[in-house]
Amino acid sequence: MKSTVDWRLLAAVSQCFAIAALTTLSLAAQAQSAGIAPEAKQILKASTDFLASQQRFTADTRNTLEIVLKSGQKIEFNSTGRQSIQRPNKLRAERTGDLVDQVFVYDGQSLTLFNPQQNIFAQVAAPGTLEDMLDFARTKLDIVAPAGDLIYKNAYDILMDGVTEGIVVGKAVIEGVLCDHLAFRAPELDWQIWIQQGAQPLPRKIVITTLDLPNAPQFGITVTQWNLQPAFDAQTFKFTPQAGMKQIDFLPL
Amino acid sequence: MTRTGKSKAFVVTIALPLLYLAGVSPDAPASLTLVPEARAVVGAPLTPVSAAGVARRTTRRVVVAESSATQASAATTATAQQQAATAQQQSATAQQQSATAQQQSATAQQQQAAASRPPGAPAVGAVVSALPAGCKPETRNGVEFQNCGGVYYRAAFQGNNLVYVVQ
Repeated sequence: MKSTVDWRLLAAVSQCFAIAALTTLSLAAQAQSAGIAPEAKQILKASTDFLASQQRFTADTRNTLEIVLKSGQKIEFNSTGRQSIQRPNKLRAERTGDLVDQVFVYDGQSLTLFNPQQNIFAQVAAPGTLEDMLDFARTKLDIVAPAGDLIYKNAYDILMDGVTEGIVVGKAVIEGVLCDHLAFRAPELDWQIWIQQGAQPLPRKIVITTLDLPNAPQFGITVTQWNLQPAFDAQTFKFTPQAGMKQIDFLPL
Repeated sequence: MTRTGKSKAFVVTIALPLLYLAGVSPDAPASLTLVPEARAVVGAPLTPVSAAGVARRTTRRVVVAESSATQASAATTATAQQQAATAQQQSATAQQQSATAQQQSATAQQQQAAASRPPGAPAVGAVVSALPAGCKPETRNGVEFQNCGGVYYRAAFQGNNLVYVVQ
C-alpha cells in the first residue's frame, strides 16, 4: 500500500532529524554547563567594540514586541524604525508601527519626544553625552531606547552584566547576511544576538526573552540595513517646533 | 497504527528536541492559553525592550485596560481596548495620583476647576491613556486643557506614552 511506504520513509527521515537535533542538544547542554563560552564572549566583544568605534551611523530596524494579556495570550506588535547616531552626543530615532508613531531627537543639550499624528511634543534639558542621556531618559523619564544598550561605548559590560551562561548556537543567516548566533542567560532574562561575520561584526538581530513575566514575552529587533557612512544634515539632530505644534510636559517618574 | 497516530508521532519526534533546545518545557499544556479574554493588561508591565542587566531594568508603570470578552475575542487592537477602559485605569493609577498631586495643586485655576467638579468625576491626578468622548479643547494661560463634560484633562508624556492627567 502506497501510504505505508510513505510512512516508513517519514519515520526514517524523522529519526535522522531526531538524532541530529539530539546531537546538537547535547553539545548545547555541554556548553551551557561550562558557563559562558569564551568564543561567545569574543564574538560579542568584537561586535560591541566595532560599533563603539563607529562615530556616525544609521540603523534601519524592524521591531516586534510581545504583550501578554491577562489570559496569558500573547499579542505581537510590529514597528519599523530608523536610528541615526553621531558620537558623542547626537541621536535621532524614528519609529512607526501599530502602537507607536514617534520621533525622538537628542541634540547634545535637550531631548525631544514628538508624536507627529497628534502634533504634540515634549522637550527637556538632557545630559551632554549619549550614554548619560540614555541613562537620564531611562531613570528620570521612563523612556527606554529599544535595544539602546548596544549604543553605549561600554555595551559589552552592560550586556554581560549578570549573565551566567553563554553559547555559540551556530551559523545563521539574517536578512541575507551570514551571522554568528549567540545565546546568553541571566537570572531574569534570556537573550540572543546575531552578529555579522567578517570585517564588520555588526549586530544584525537581538531577541530578549523576559523570564520574570508570565509566558515570557519577547522583544525582537532586526537591523534591515546598516549605513556606516550616512549623510546627516543640520536638521537631522535638531528639533524645531513648527506653528501649530503643541508642547506638553513629561510626567516625572 | 492509524495514519493520524503516525503523523502525530512524526511531528513530536521533530518538535521535542527543538523545544528542549529552546529551553521550553514540552509538558506545558498549550491549551491553557485558550481562555476567553475578559480582562487585558496592555503593555503593563511593558515587555522590556532592553537587555541591560537586571539591576538596570526599570519597572514600567502600569496601564491597565479592561474590555468585554466580545471585544477581545473580536481581536480589537490594544489601542481600542485602552480607549474602552479609561474608568478602570483610574483606579490602577492610584499610586501615580500621589506622585502627581503636587503638580495638580500648583495653580489656583486647577483648584477652581476641582471645586466645580461634576459628581462622579475621576480623581484629580488620575492618569488615563485616552479621553472620554465629547471633549473640547480649552486654552487657559497658554496651556491647552481638554474639557470633557466639566472634567479637565491635560496631555503629558508618561515615558513614551501620550496620557491625560485629570485636573
